[in-house]
Amino acid sequence: MASEGDGRGAERAGLPAWLMRNEAYEPPRERGSFVTKSLLGMTGVLARMRLDDGREGPLSPSAPLKLLLGLATILLTSLCRNYAFVLVVLALALARAALLPARALRRTAAVAGVASALTFAVMLPATLLGQAHSAVLLGTKVLVTTTVAMEVTLTTAAGELTRALRTLRVPATAVLTLDLALHSIVDLGRVATEVLCALRLRSVGRDHDKRSSIGGVGGVLLLKAGRSAAETADAMACRGFDGSYDVTPERPRPHQRAVDCAWLLGAAVLLALFFYLQGLV
Amino acid sequence: MHIPENYLSPSTCGVFAVAMVPLWMRAARHVREEVPRQKMPLVGVAAAFCFLAMMFNIPLPGGTTGHAVAGTLVAILFGPWTATLAISMALAIQAVMFGDGGILALPANCFNMAFVLPMCGYAVYVLLRGREERHSDAAGTGLGRELVAAGVGSYVGINAAALCAAIEFGVQPLLFSDAAGRALYCPYPLWVSVPAMLAGHLTVWGAAEVVFTVGILAFVRRVAPDFGLGSLAGDDVRVAPARATRPVLALVAALAVLTPLGLLATGDAWGEWSVGDLAAQVGYTPAGMAHGWEWASLMPDYSLGALPAWLGYVLSAAVGVAALLVAFRLLGAQAPSRVDFGPRHDG
Repeated sequence: MASEGDGRGAERAGLPAWLMRNEAYEPPRERGSFVTKSLLGMTGVLARMRLDDGREGPLSPSAPLKLLLGLATILLTSLCRNYAFVLVVLALALARAALLPARALRRTAAVAGVASALTFAVMLPATLLGQAHSAVLLGTKVLVTTTVAMEVTLTTAAGELTRALRTLRVPATAVLTLDLALHSIVDLGRVATEVLCALRLRSVGRDHDKRSSIGGVGGVLLLKAGRSAAETADAMACRGFDGSYDVTPERPRPHQRAVDCAWLLGAAVLLALFFYLQGLV
Repeated sequence: MHIPENYLSPSTCGVFAVAMVPLWMRAARHVREEVPRQKMPLVGVAAAFCFLAMMFNIPLPGGTTGHAVAGTLVAILFGPWTATLAISMALAIQAVMFGDGGILALPANCFNMAFVLPMCGYAVYVLLRGREERHSDAAGTGLGRELVAAGVGSYVGINAAALCAAIEFGVQPLLFSDAAGRALYCPYPLWVSVPAMLAGHLTVWGAAEVVFTVGILAFVRRVAPDFGLGSLAGDDVRVAPARATRPVLALVAALAVLTPLGLLATGDAWGEWSVGDLAAQVGYTPAGMAHGWEWASLMPDYSLGALPAWLGYVLSAAVGVAALLVAFRLLGAQAPSRVDFGPRHDG
């Protein structure tokens, strides 16, 4: 009786009958793997881009020298045919890795471990054919070079790397492109995360049309990228920046020159060891 | 005390593997539950002490050499189960990378040096130290009594481990011999192996273990009192582990540089001869050794190809110490973070 009374009351209030029906809508289960995976992937990339473990220790060489030494070590390790030299560099790289910050160490271990394991897996047929030495040599070389590359990247701030590239006479256009690309990835990645989040919130229940939204996400990003590029160009014009990087000498840390000399001396010893060991092969 | 490959029969190695698996699992559980995340890198440093202690070979008249283990030290600092895990990892790195101790014999070596040694050493240490607070006062009688307990504990621990190794060697010819009565694996029976192993450990190497344990413990207690498990309480969490352990890391680096001193001792440890040397001693090559499996390690005997032996030793020490530090730091990063919000006040 009461509900009839309520119904009549509602009709009198002008509410339509369909609005008065009890809702019993349960959205079907939706895996949402596309959006979730895209979101996770995007967030992971952003987290890695923003991870800044570029802290220099008191005994770190200056950024350009660090970049040079890293490249030289990777080159020498790749060229050497004597396993002893690879093990010497492995000892040095491991000693540095042990002192990395925890997050940087975890990333270095993950990247270097996966790379060397993959190399070893690719070289497995050689092991079966009796060339186990080659597989171990190559696997260790990949482990060492990846570790050195990660250590150089993770212990140098992004701005310092740009400065180092410019100091090493890399063309300004290349440095500007690299710099802008890195900034754009972070900026557009944030926009992509927001768009994907909105798509996820809007999709209630099973949405078979969700995959087609990829075009929409891409379109939004393209528009944003165009606008962002125009804004960057305007900002550059306003600040009088024409894309040329003038490296002003940074105020050096105390004893930086001595530290750099010590590192250069160490590199010279490593180079001598390389030639000595190569001569023995 | 590192039992090489093929000195024990595969079945003996299998028995020890079966015995060690639950012990390793229990040790891993203890470490997960008892060692806080921020202290895990310090366990790696303690494992590095063991690794380095085992590289200092000390000679005995007669041509044999031996070494300390410092297992009781890790047990005192971080608990006996943590010591089991830490020393096991040090032994695994030694076996895989440097060929020191066999791969198949690794469970037996872990049983002797990573289980029996820290457990016995720690039990004696606790018994002698009594109920006194571990850190009553650094300068007073508390530390003195602790150091005496640590010294006696480490001496008992290393001798218990040596006795176990001797028994494992000694039962081989009794259990495994061919029709002609020749041993298939280790040819020395119990009445040879037990006196041979214990003579050195009861005298020189036992003393070396005491010196290593007491020396490092005294250094740690005075210079870095935050190093170890017992100190993590309340306000101490705020102490930056890196700063607190800087002197200890410096000590590890100094020990690594000094490892070539171990090269002064020429000759092999008892029971660690090559197959050729053993055949020259007993007059025949045991059949199990002649056809046994051998692991090709990266840096056999801590040497590095054509490089001088001392340089190979220092680099081996650097690789071993760094690998242990990296391993325990990664383990610490995997461990769940725990925050102590203090005692509950319900109602």
